[in-house]
Amino acid sequence: MAVCVAVIAKENYPLYIKASTADNELKFYYTVHSSLDVIEEKINSAGKNANDQRELYLGLLYPTEDYKVYGYVTNTKIKFVIVVESSNTTLRDTEIRSMFRKLHQGYVDMLCNPFYIPGESVSSKSFSETVISMMQQ
Amino acid sequence: MSRQAARAGDPRKVNGELFTLTYGALVAQLLRDYEDDEEVNKQLEKMGYNIGIRLIEDFLARSNTSRCSDFRETADVISKVAFKMYLGITPVVSNWSPAGDEFSLLMENNPLIDFVELPDGHNNLNYSNLLCGVLKGALEMVQMDVEVKFVQDQLKGENITELRLKFLKRLEDAVPVGED
Amino acid sequence: MADDVIFDLLHSEIVAFLHRTTEKDNQDQCINKLESLGFRIGQSIVERFTKESPRFKDDLDIMKFICKEFWSAVFKKQVDNLRTNHQGVYVLQDNKFRFLTQMSSGKQYMEVAPKYLAMSCGVIRGALANIGINSVITAEVSAMPSCKFQIQLQRT
Repeated sequence: MAVCVAVIAKENYPLYIKASTADNELKFYYTVHSSLDVIEEKINSAGKNANDQRELYLGLLYPTEDYKVYGYVTNTKIKFVIVVESSNTTLRDTEIRSMFRKLHQGYVDMLCNPFYIPGESVSSKSFSETVISMMQQ
Repeated sequence: MSRQAARAGDPRKVNGELFTLTYGALVAQLLRDYEDDEEVNKQLEKMGYNIGIRLIEDFLARSNTSRCSDFRETADVISKVAFKMYLGITPVVSNWSPAGDEFSLLMENNPLIDFVELPDGHNNLNYSNLLCGVLKGALEMVQMDVEVKFVQDQLKGENITELRLKFLKRLEDAVPVGED
Repeated sequence: MADDVIFDLLHSEIVAFLHRTTEKDNQDQCINKLESLGFRIGQSIVERFTKESPRFKDDLDIMKFICKEFWSAVFKKQVDNLRTNHQGVYVLQDNKFRFLTQMSSGKQYMEVAPKYLAMSCGVIRGALANIGINSVITAEVSAMPSCKFQIQLQRT
C-alpha cells in the first residue's frame, strides 16, 4: 500500500514521517517537502469559488515516474501526505481516501493524549501502529 | 446547511470526551506541578474524595436506591447503577474474599484512559486514582469506611483495569460534610 | 459515556483545588492555570469536532461554528447573541452560562465568578488557536448567570 506517510505541522515542519524501507527515507523527505507547495496552492485556490466543497482530501498532488503523491489537510492546518507506487494500479481514489480517514482519526486520538504536547514530533505507539498497518497488506 | 450537521456529533458522547480530556489535562498538569507519581496519586484521591461526598447526594436522589443490606449488594449497586450512570460502563464484580469483605471491580474500557499513553518512567502513577477517592468519599457518606486502590491498570500494559475495595468498618455517626 | 453531573463536579473541584493550592495573594496564578488547562482541552476537542467537516471559509465562518456547534456541545446551549465591530472584536453573550448556573446571584459570588470562567475562556481560546485564530479572551459577568465573552482576534 503506502510507501511513505508523513504528518506536517501547521508551520510546515514534519511531525512524523515514516517510509516503508529505511534506505528510502531520505528520498521521501525530499518528495514530501516538495509536495508542500502544491498543497499550499490547492488550499489557496479552493477558497475563491463559492461553490467549492472545501474538502479535506486534496487528491493527487503530483505524479512522478515511480510514485504518486496524495495530500489531505485538516481544519487545523495539519497536512497529511501519502506516497504510493505508481505501479500499484489496484489503489483507487476510495482506498486512498479511506487511508487518509484512518490517518486523520489516528492523529486526532494521538492529539487527545494529555501527555502529548501539540507541535512536538509524534512518538505515539498506537499512531505508529496505524501507519504501519497502512504500509502492509 | 447540511455541512453544519456533520460537526460535533452526539451530545452525550461529546460530554464524555470533554470529561476525559478535562481529566487528562488535570493529571498532566499535576504531574508537571508535583513531579512525583505518589504525590499526584495522593492529590487525585483527595480531589476524588471531595467529588464523592457531593456526588452521593445526586446519586441517592436520582437512583432511588434503598439502603444496602450487605457489602455484596453495595458492590452490585456500585457497578450496575453508579458506574453505569456516571461513566456509562458496568464493571464486573469479582474476586470476592472468603469473608465477603473485599471484592474487585474489573473494567475493560475505563473511559478515563481513552486516548492516554503514559510517558516513560511513570510506573507508580495511578492515572485514574480519582476514582478511588470518589468511591471512598461517597461510601463514607453512607457510613461505610472502605479502602479503595488500583491493583491492575491497562495503562501499564495489563489486560484489565482492576479496582480493589475492602470494607473496613461501619461508621456510626454521620460525618459532617466539610466544604473543601 | 460520562454524565453531566460528574463533569460539573470535576470542574468545580479543579477550580477549588487550584484555589486552595495557590497562595492567597497570588490568585492570578490560579486563573492562569485554569486557563492553560482549558487551552489544552480546547485544542483537542476542536480537532475532534472538525474532523468530518469541510474547511472553514473565513473568520466569520469560524465564529459561527464556535457560537453554534461548539458552544452547544461544550456548554449545552447556543450563544444567545453574537456581535462584532467588523474589526476583529466579537462579543458572545450567553444568558445562562453552564458553569454559572449552579451559583446563586449575589455579590460574594461575583467575586469568585472569574475562576469559574477561566477554564472556559481557555477552552475557547485553545479551540480558536488550533483552527488558526489567535485571540485574547475576557469574560464579564454583569448579572448571574449571564456572561459576556469578548474575543479579540490577534492579527499576525
